[in-house]
Amino acid sequence: MTPILDMAGISVTFPGVKALDKAMLTVLPGEVHGLVGENGAGKSTLIKVLAGVYAPDEGVVSLGDEKHISTLTPNLVHTAGVRFIHQELHLVPHFTVAESVFMGQEISGRFGLDKSTMNARTEDFLRETLNADISPRTLIRDLGTAERKLVQISRALIDGRATLVVFDEPTAPLASDEVDRLFAAIGGLKSKGIAMIYVSHYLREITHISDRVTVLRNGKAVKVFNEVSDQITDPMISAMVGREIAEMFPKKENTSNKKLFEARELSGMGFSQVNFDVAAGEVLGIAGLVGSGREELIDTIYGLLPVTSGSMTLKAEAYNPKRPAKAVKAGVALVPRDRRHDGLVLDQPVIDNINLASLEEVSTVLMEKRGVAKNRAEAMANQLDLRPRNVTMIPRLLSGGNQQKVVLGRWLAKGGDLFILDEPTVGVDVGAKVEIYALIRELAAQGSAVIVSSGDPLELLGLSDRIMVLQRGFLAASHDAKDVNVDSLVALTTGGSSGAIE
Amino acid sequence: MKWLLRYSFLLVIAACIVFFSFWNPVFLSAGNQMNILEGSAILLIVALGMTLVVAMGGIDLSVGIALDFGAAFAVVALKEYDAAWYVAILAGIVGGCLIGLLNAVLIVWLNVSAFMATLGTFFIGSSVQRIFTNGGGPISHRRMPQEYRDLAVGDFGGVPTEVLIAGFVLILYFIFLERSILGKRIHAIGLQPTAALIAGVEVKKIIFASFIIAGATCAIGGLIASANIRMFTPLSGFSYLLDAIAAVFIGASMHPRGRPNVMGTLVGVLFLGILANGLNLMGLNFNTKDALSGVILVLALAFAIGQRRLTSLRKGQT
Ligand SMILES: Nc1ncnc2c1ncn2[C@@H]1O[C@H](COP(=O)(O)OP(=O)(O)OP(=O)(O)O)[C@@H](O)[C@H]1O
Ligand SMILES: [Mg+2]
Repeated sequence: MTPILDMAGISVTFPGVKALDKAMLTVLPGEVHGLVGENGAGKSTLIKVLAGVYAPDEGVVSLGDEKHISTLTPNLVHTAGVRFIHQELHLVPHFTVAESVFMGQEISGRFGLDKSTMNARTEDFLRETLNADISPRTLIRDLGTAERKLVQISRALIDGRATLVVFDEPTAPLASDEVDRLFAAIGGLKSKGIAMIYVSHYLREITHISDRVTVLRNGKAVKVFNEVSDQITDPMISAMVGREIAEMFPKKENTSNKKLFEARELSGMGFSQVNFDVAAGEVLGIAGLVGSGREELIDTIYGLLPVTSGSMTLKAEAYNPKRPAKAVKAGVALVPRDRRHDGLVLDQPVIDNINLASLEEVSTVLMEKRGVAKNRAEAMANQLDLRPRNVTMIPRLLSGGNQQKVVLGRWLAKGGDLFILDEPTVGVDVGAKVEIYALIRELAAQGSAVIVSSGDPLELLGLSDRIMVLQRGFLAASHDAKDVNVDSLVALTTGGSSGAIE
Repeated sequence: MKWLLRYSFLLVIAACIVFFSFWNPVFLSAGNQMNILEGSAILLIVALGMTLVVAMGGIDLSVGIALDFGAAFAVVALKEYDAAWYVAILAGIVGGCLIGLLNAVLIVWLNVSAFMATLGTFFIGSSVQRIFTNGGGPISHRRMPQEYRDLAVGDFGGVPTEVLIAGFVLILYFIFLERSILGKRIHAIGLQPTAALIAGVEVKKIIFASFIIAGATCAIGGLIASANIRMFTPLSGFSYLLDAIAAVFIGASMHPRGRPNVMGTLVGVLFLGILANGLNLMGLNFNTKDALSGVILVLALAFAIGQRRLTSLRKGQT
């Protein structure tokens, strides 16, 4: 079988980094090809070479029967039938589904735009190819994230000329029950004979849907798995990180049980009458589907949303921050779920991002002491094993896991009593995950209270001492982590309904 | 090479200087150099206020109004209330602060966008001036205290006071915006306000204060202008608005990451000053001069921004 895509010997160099070093990737017609690797391994760079965004220093890309040596352009790639589903959504909230799908490729009839044809074709495509039932007249802003993802896919594929579709971390913004819908859609594409490249850090997804897998490490394709099953997870991880990972999760050593934070009958936008507490030295996990009030609860504790009734106590004092600055002053830190938008100032150097919450500590009489600031940032970069270890770089150019380390570094530098981490490992590779988990337990061991909110049941089980489950804004359950397993936790979050992936 | 690209705008300026001095050697004379500096002092002060606001992610269309209010408050204090010169200066600065306060209230409390809020302030401020002066007649004050007059016509060791004042404001702004931790926070707000908020920055307070500081700064320009012509001319501040915006964006185009910055603004202001002065010496008529300086400005900006895009493309950023 001639491959539909063959990339061979691809090298790309950025100032100071060899992002790709003679990397290769071969995709056969009609297969789903998983592409995995640590943060910074070069996955996105390889995809961007294919997209014609970066010209490689060396290497050959063959699409079908044509060989292209650094002559790929976005247009040429599009004409060849390659489509990209980027991680970001880029949809206009007040457009309808059909308008979004046909944006830039409208069908015009005799009297301007032919809306009915566009509506009909959108509906057909969504139903027949993606197995989704969405009305083409719905507004984007009324759709959930998974449905928006499907709209984004339809937009790339509606012209029916796609032969190869590239997904770059498509499930990162999705809750576990939404992932199923996306997989159903991918199944639909596959049955139409369309080949796919699937980039993800969720190895369970990779083994679930791929036919073959390529592993990148340090810009090289270190391994290709031609057979995929659950058994390859461990070899895949060791190929990714270049070593064995013995334990994903660190030991839990909960020492104290002095209450540090307490919420009594707390209500806010999207949740009501929630009671819970966290002790110093404890990690509390919060589970819940999208819409369970998990995000709102966290935003309320951090002063981003108002308390409507009930009360909070921090270190035995009444606590009700009206804005994040107050929360920070009281000793609370938030690692937000959307690090690119809320966590980092992407275009300010790493030094400034690490010091942003504690600028007073690197200044005299309000003047920044640049040397001190730099030393502090460098110490943090060493502690967190930031790669590359260059604190003058802007976070925009860092890979996902390293961006997250910068956000963590800011709060480690600042210190705090209550750390709230919202989806701390989305888009983060296994190796960095292990490091971040260790850090979180370390924070607890040093006497902080930690709240981890996550959509990943394994993460919650491995990391937390206790897990509380939110359902439609109410506290549905609260258990010792010892007393639950993945199945029972999923059952608790979904309220017993099935359909969630393991 | 990197240096060359980054400072390409300085090359444009150098080219202008060479061109103008060939055309008319007077251009290079010490006296004319001082003319350029003196002519740029007020614009520099206003443009610095604008730099602050743009660095914070906003825009201030009411800088001219703040300048007018500065002049008006000071002249009225001198004329109607026989105020001492330093009281008049304070009154003028309070006038500028009021304009900044109005912007701040609209933007921070009422959540109006900076563009709309300062445009509103611009209209309100213009009407107030017209009403107050019965349709825009100037308020002149011949018997101005010499100390106040000296703001514009005095000198220290041969350096005109207005140049010294502008230099002083420049240094303050440099320290404030580029070296202090408040400046760090302002830049963070300008780049990503939610990220700054979540990092614990008092975003609203800083925005509030910054608009007031910008208003006060522009009022200093108004003091100098009124001392120079010994009167308050309503709506005269407007002429600085577009030049101030141009200077800030020229400055930003020189920054490696395209950020508004104090030293860049200085270069932008000097460039505009040199351009105006040089074209004047060429003896062109008013309209040609205006058109020509517009064309040169656009070309220079296109050049500077194009250069930057080239460097970043080479690094593979998109
Ligand atoms: N425009 C750029 N300029 C400089 N370095 C870059 C640029 N883009 C990527 N890099 C570097 O190249 C390497 C590969 O990055 P890439 O984004 O391809 O990683 P990735 O495998 O997609 O990681 P992640 O899983 O975190 O998305 C990293 O070290 C990254 O910091
Ligand atoms: Mg990537």
